[in-house]
Amino acid sequence: MVTAAVVEKPSTAEELARRLHQAAESGSAVVPVGGGKAAGMGGPPLRCDVELHTTGLDRVLEHSQADMVVSVEAGITLETLQAELGKAGQFLPLDPFNSPGHTIGGLLATGWTGPLRQRFGSARDFLIGIRVALPDGHLATAGGRVVKNVSGYDLMKLHFGAMGSLGVIVAASFKVFPRPLHDITVETRNDSMEAAWDASARALELPLLPAALELFSDGRVLARFFGSPDAVNRMVSELGWKQAEASAWGEHSRRAPESWARIAVPRNELRGVLSGLPAGAQWWASPGIGIAHWMFDGDSEKVRSARVAAEAAHGSLVLMGARPDVTRELGAWGTPPTTLELMRRIKHAFDPEGILNPGRFVV
Amino acid sequence: MALATSVVDELRRIVGRESVIDSANDLRIFERDASIEGAVPDAVVLAATTEEVAGVIKVAAKHHIPVVPRGAGTGLSGGAVTIRGGIALQVTRMRRIEVDPVAQTAVVEPGVVNQELSLVAASHGLFYAPDPSSQKACTIGGNAAENSGGPHCLYYGVTTNHVLGMEVVLADGSVHWVSGDAPDRVGLDLCGVLVGSEGTLCAITKIKVRLLRIPQSVATLLAAFPTIETASHAVSAVIARGIVPAALEMMDHMTVGAVEAHYHAGYPVDAGAVLLVEVDGIAESTRELMAAIRKVLEENEGYALREAETPAERELLWAGRKGAIGALGRIKPNYYLHDGVVPRSRLPQVLSAVGEIGEHYKLPVANVFHAGDGNLHPNILFDLRDREVLPQVEGAGEEMLRAVVELGGALSGEHGIGLEKSAFMPWVYSPDDLDAMQRVKRVFDVDGILNPGKIFPDPSRKHVHLAGRTGLAVEAKWW
Repeated sequence: MVTAAVVEKPSTAEELARRLHQAAESGSAVVPVGGGKAAGMGGPPLRCDVELHTTGLDRVLEHSQADMVVSVEAGITLETLQAELGKAGQFLPLDPFNSPGHTIGGLLATGWTGPLRQRFGSARDFLIGIRVALPDGHLATAGGRVVKNVSGYDLMKLHFGAMGSLGVIVAASFKVFPRPLHDITVETRNDSMEAAWDASARALELPLLPAALELFSDGRVLARFFGSPDAVNRMVSELGWKQAEASAWGEHSRRAPESWARIAVPRNELRGVLSGLPAGAQWWASPGIGIAHWMFDGDSEKVRSARVAAEAAHGSLVLMGARPDVTRELGAWGTPPTTLELMRRIKHAFDPEGILNPGRFVV
Repeated sequence: MALATSVVDELRRIVGRESVIDSANDLRIFERDASIEGAVPDAVVLAATTEEVAGVIKVAAKHHIPVVPRGAGTGLSGGAVTIRGGIALQVTRMRRIEVDPVAQTAVVEPGVVNQELSLVAASHGLFYAPDPSSQKACTIGGNAAENSGGPHCLYYGVTTNHVLGMEVVLADGSVHWVSGDAPDRVGLDLCGVLVGSEGTLCAITKIKVRLLRIPQSVATLLAAFPTIETASHAVSAVIARGIVPAALEMMDHMTVGAVEAHYHAGYPVDAGAVLLVEVDGIAESTRELMAAIRKVLEENEGYALREAETPAERELLWAGRKGAIGALGRIKPNYYLHDGVVPRSRLPQVLSAVGEIGEHYKLPVANVFHAGDGNLHPNILFDLRDREVLPQVEGAGEEMLRAVVELGGALSGEHGIGLEKSAFMPWVYSPDDLDAMQRVKRVFDVDGILNPGKIFPDPSRKHVHLAGRTGLAVEAKWW
């Protein structure tokens, strides 16, 4: 049973590490909190004695414009960081749903991505350094501030998507990108899903791939092209779709359903898995990546069978937000990976008392 | 120390009599990789299947014998050297390739040669992006173990960005798949940690990689500059203009001379430095980008700009770049190559430091490197027959790395820490940082049988010359 938690909001990484250590010493369960935008993700916490907020750590530590590298504290919001980078004509290609208000630490801990993953990959691909507070009170750094680095183990990968189960991310460095020379958004509306899937497949066969391509369960397809003007214009004219407002992407990223799930499968399986969802299901998908987000109604039986289909396709269905009874009944994550035992040993090496986010993640 | 006969027999029962090498003469072939230091293994096992790899590791675990996975032996940091003896686990017989053209992926065994994968994928219009200069020889297994790079990683990313999953054998001989077909696997990203772990956490037996479509249009440009410094500024200027080329490579005067003598590719031998720039995409984008790049280079003292007009000309320009280190053999028979990375804007500073260090030690230094990434490759040239020279070479290399670290850089961009740089890890990581890495090591390999003596500093082994300057070079600067 979760009881009312003590709220801590340290303003330095050292202080955060100290608070974490104190909690660990007294066996208190700690739930790290950033912007709270992914609070619905994962299993319901078994215990929560201390809410450890990172929002007091909100500085840009260094933005080296010429090197296109930025180091920030974990509690900075994505919007604040983008505003800073924008002054130099640069950006971080992250456009998660349920925006605005995500913190960088939260995005790394949850591994959330958005449509631009089509072109830029996930933050896993451009995260170049990380600093993490561990339950023993130490601050451990991995990676650095250069764009290419094989000095020691890539612990960035270990913490990315780990839901704060191994430590609390306090700072991170990224490779950033120049704003595209040209940026055009186009859309097409289709009468049938058949036609919509075909349209998106055609866009993904273009010689210059879209930077983002989203397919919606109402038959709409939204595509975005980055690049040199002539190249982008040629792709747009080959597609023949009508131009749309760039603000469509901002609207898209503000989607915040109450009950939703992420379906992640090999991209050539996505169409089959989505066509098996209940009639009238509302979802949006990145067909070039193999990810869809499904806004399901409360019926857990339907979610269960969709998960069976996703897992049969070697993928997963993860609850991003759901009624607590649904999450408890279905489990947030689905069938655990075959390497679960190994993951548990890693968890134990960093958090032997199991005080970090107990119950929330698979370890 | 030779392995006990009973152990050799156990190994032979797994892989067959002919596939275990234990005669002193034959073992010497496996003494080295492409770095300086060597050590003869006690036995070499040529494994052909995952089951054989697992069997060999089980035997090693039972008897506490070190195991060092080995591919083509082209590594530059001593990763494949059996410094504590034991078994060199040779995987070059494992070379199956299965391309899935619909999913645009391939599953390959670790002994597949990098270039071979792209050649096979080409029949489906696909290619494998990471392209180390040794790609004609190096294996994908070694690439994954070292998280290798290559010239085209500027745009496309390094090996870890292209590995979707792996089949691995752990220190207890158990076999596992980590990650795989779908994005966003559930649980910890073990695959991400194992890529680049230099054979110290697992042996890799299959690698699932992403393949990309071969671009329709490629443009390659060679430009001369009066000095390394002007070329470095041009590199920063191109990127600052918002252009990230597919590749952006630099060669200095000494390298250009050697390359031109060897390849006759039309490199301008009078130049202080040359840049090799490549963009790819569709015809419209390469034309527009190349026009913009030409303008930036000319504004930054670039001259003798020459664009490859035919695929053969492009091949020749790249042959010069990728074969540059071999061509340096015209100057001296041996080289010692470092791999530090600095923030791109620090290139002029670090290159002038590298030059001064070379002069101080009276050693020729040739630079050929991935300028767009800030990834240096200073080649210290020497003749190993001159026995006195080796400590000088190592001293110069160490000072160069120190200069890299003091400018906020990293010890290695794509070659790995291995043996040669393990003593320098405390320059960039605090004891707490290293302890976090050691925890991971202990989870995977508590007895320390997998590639022992690598990555982590071993004070008993290597003397750090710059003793007075050890300790974190970038302390409190990171944050």
